[in-house]
Amino acid sequence: MDLTRPEAQTAPAPLPLLAPRSVEEVAGVLAEARGAGRRLLVVGGRTHLDKGNPSPVDAELSVAALDRLVEWNPAEMLAVVGAGMPCGRLDELLAEHGQEWPVDAPAAATVGGVIAAAASSPRRLRVGPVRDLVLEVELVSGAGRRIRAGGRTVKNVSGYDLCRLVTGSLGTLGVLTQVALKLRPRPAARRTVRAASRNGLFATAATLLAAVPRPTALLVTPIGIELRLEGWPADLEEQTALAIQALGGSGAVELHDEEPFPLARPWEAAPVVVEAAVAPSRLQAVVEAAADAEMLGWGALAGVGICWVGLPDGGALATLRERIQALDGIAPVVRGPGGGLGAAAPAPAVHRRLKRAFDPDGILAPGRFWGES
Amino acid sequence: MAIAAVRRHHDGRLFVDERNAVATPHKRDQQGRGPEPARLERLERAGAELVAALDRGDVSADPLALALYRRDASMIEGSLALVAHPRSREQVVACLRVAARHGLPVVPRGSGTGLSGGATPSGDALVVVTTKLNRVLEVRPEDRLAWVEPGVLNLDLSNQLRPLGLHFAPDPSSQQTSSIGGNVSTNAGGPHCLAYGVTSGHVLAVEVALPDGEVVRLGAEGPEAPGLDLRGLVVGAEGTVGIVTAICVRLTPLAPAVRTLLLDFERVADAADTVAGIIAAGVIPAALELLDRRILEVIEPYAHAGYPTDAAAVLLAEVDGLPGGVAHEAALIERVARSHHVRSVVQARDEQHRARLWKGRKSAAGAVSLIAPHYYLHDTVVPRGKLTELLLRIYEVVERHQLIVVNVFHAGDGNLHPMLLFDRDQPGAFDRVLAASEEIVTACVEAGGVLSGEHGIGLEKRDLMPLLFGTDDLAAQDCTRAAFDPERRMNPAKVLPSGARCGDFAMARGKDQDLATMLEDLPEGSWI
Repeated sequence: MDLTRPEAQTAPAPLPLLAPRSVEEVAGVLAEARGAGRRLLVVGGRTHLDKGNPSPVDAELSVAALDRLVEWNPAEMLAVVGAGMPCGRLDELLAEHGQEWPVDAPAAATVGGVIAAAASSPRRLRVGPVRDLVLEVELVSGAGRRIRAGGRTVKNVSGYDLCRLVTGSLGTLGVLTQVALKLRPRPAARRTVRAASRNGLFATAATLLAAVPRPTALLVTPIGIELRLEGWPADLEEQTALAIQALGGSGAVELHDEEPFPLARPWEAAPVVVEAAVAPSRLQAVVEAAADAEMLGWGALAGVGICWVGLPDGGALATLRERIQALDGIAPVVRGPGGGLGAAAPAPAVHRRLKRAFDPDGILAPGRFWGES
Repeated sequence: MAIAAVRRHHDGRLFVDERNAVATPHKRDQQGRGPEPARLERLERAGAELVAALDRGDVSADPLALALYRRDASMIEGSLALVAHPRSREQVVACLRVAARHGLPVVPRGSGTGLSGGATPSGDALVVVTTKLNRVLEVRPEDRLAWVEPGVLNLDLSNQLRPLGLHFAPDPSSQQTSSIGGNVSTNAGGPHCLAYGVTSGHVLAVEVALPDGEVVRLGAEGPEAPGLDLRGLVVGAEGTVGIVTAICVRLTPLAPAVRTLLLDFERVADAADTVAGIIAAGVIPAALELLDRRILEVIEPYAHAGYPTDAAAVLLAEVDGLPGGVAHEAALIERVARSHHVRSVVQARDEQHRARLWKGRKSAAGAVSLIAPHYYLHDTVVPRGKLTELLLRIYEVVERHQLIVVNVFHAGDGNLHPMLLFDRDQPGAFDRVLAASEEIVTACVEAGGVLSGEHGIGLEKRDLMPLLFGTDDLAAQDCTRAAFDPERRMNPAKVLPSGARCGDFAMARGKDQDLATMLEDLPEGSWI
């Protein structure tokens, strides 16, 4: 089987790209790679590839051709799609019946890629992490075994939770081919309450979280606070009133209805973006550490504990990581070259055995995941 | 049910068949003594080491203790050699080290409310009971988290948190007596996990003592942790990967407004269609429970909840959130119910009325015990759209087997809980229960459902796993388990059928090695 075709123009490295069109072809590509000792990087929409340690690979395996909507029963709030389904297309489809898979990934990102990277939605406070939104997975392990885990129901404890094992595994255990997703109703109304920057940003955020029930998100940035509200119109009015009261009056508040969230991403233009994760009350300390690292911009999800930090280069990374680890947090690079994950995993023996069982020949992005050394 | 590892006693009790289930090796020792003296000597030594490591009175091998821990709340009885009640992480580690030294299987156990035999021991097991690890270690409202020991009872934690305006969202029906450690092990649900999600979504981190005694923290107080999501594997692993010694739970703010409705239907199909209709209308209620006529007739005289006893089915629906949205959703639910011929709609007038409506639902098991000596409670999940079909199928199956069934379940999740009522002393009754059970579970799986929604697989359903999964699927699960416990001494014979073996699974290169060797021969320090 020769599925090699020239590398896409946008990709920097001149690696051969293998683009299987079926699960059988995925298994074939993996068998060939094992035979030839060829190391593969699994890619989808190429939007989350910078996450992970640099891994020397010989070729890329794209799941982009596995992009079918396999099953969608709106009444069950559950859709089954190929791993290569672009998030943008999925969102358009689901909108027809007023539903969403709330990961807020770029339109070109694939469902499989978002799961493999465990990418965080800015609305995570309300919609939860990606790992809670995956009900069933099908994958081909590095050893070439076809595995299905989970089930097509919203609740399931039938065996070990391999869906969560695969989520965030960065394509190092197997190639995701198909997944069943937990959907939610699209909110009837959306509003962003924006407050300009002020002293005590994080204290203000804490006040807002205590005063406003069920916010969808609360993003704190150097240019202000964005309180995201979603739901029934009556709820939004009440939440808005409570927010204005907590902020000390409507003078400093702008309301943006039906606009995308967030309105501003002051970290985004930076060459290197770190996604720090700490207990929510330590976000301010992360921002203080980032300020010492000459950051270009930042945005923190209050109540969640995610802080995106934009850096000019990888120079200050080591110091920043040290500070964040001292806060009992982690700081993987999610965009930019060569940043890596920068944190050691607990229970290395368990990790090693899992990798060994799923990918005994080490052909799937060796070293991309947390290493021991 | 066709469970290879489980046999019937002449008096009707189920017990674990040692020949099939167990893991304790009975080898001859070096002096060539037979298995029995060597075995007894080993147990004696293990017992003495445990007594030395734990507090006075916390280790037992007397007949009463062994009888008490022979089973959980399921119908399956097993065997054990020793019971230990550690009071600290260090004592849990000591238990694991002693068991490792003497090759004993270890069965972790919380309050013992499990219904699938997950805590039913076998062979010369050491049962490690976590009920004395019952401290709330730390509550951090600003981070909406708490660290608790596994023996803390579910409802005790939520009661303690209420003054802070927070709670632990999973609320299994056993919540007065079940422990958070047990909830973690079975990935417990409950009525309100429809909106709030099952236990896994409420566990930020776990501290786990691995079978060799190493203690690791998996997960993090923050939203992401380094490494694979091993936390996610420990939740729902039914005690087969280690013993959880502390849990960092996510705390959820109490809803500012709640509204509870009782909807009364003349046809079961109308109630079930209303469930699907509510979800399709874009409303995810906090809870949506269905009770059928038979259980209403049992509950009402017992609990005086105000349930109509002449309805074919009622729905107990609850919405929570902000007052405006709650009113809107209650109105939507009522509208959907009207389109499915609801006979009456009652809204709880106040907190007292609401508590009464819930009391009926929560006293189902107690009420049933007044009319039947035994019940067999099932736990399967089906697509919501198949609820009517499956309920009618269940009625048909039990009638054919001359049994009585009552249904009270988490309809919004499609999580069925048929309770088959019977008297074990009546000849043949239990056989009919098992035959009907197998038909019901099979029908649910054939309808696109799964084996368990919140009780777990345990011993009860492990041999039904092939209904859902193929050989490689089960082998992948076995590898996952073996990654934590290569010797397979943690809660052996649970979750996976005996045929599921990791060995071949990872054998891409066609070698036939011993699993433990194979998994270990990746060099230290290599990338993973």
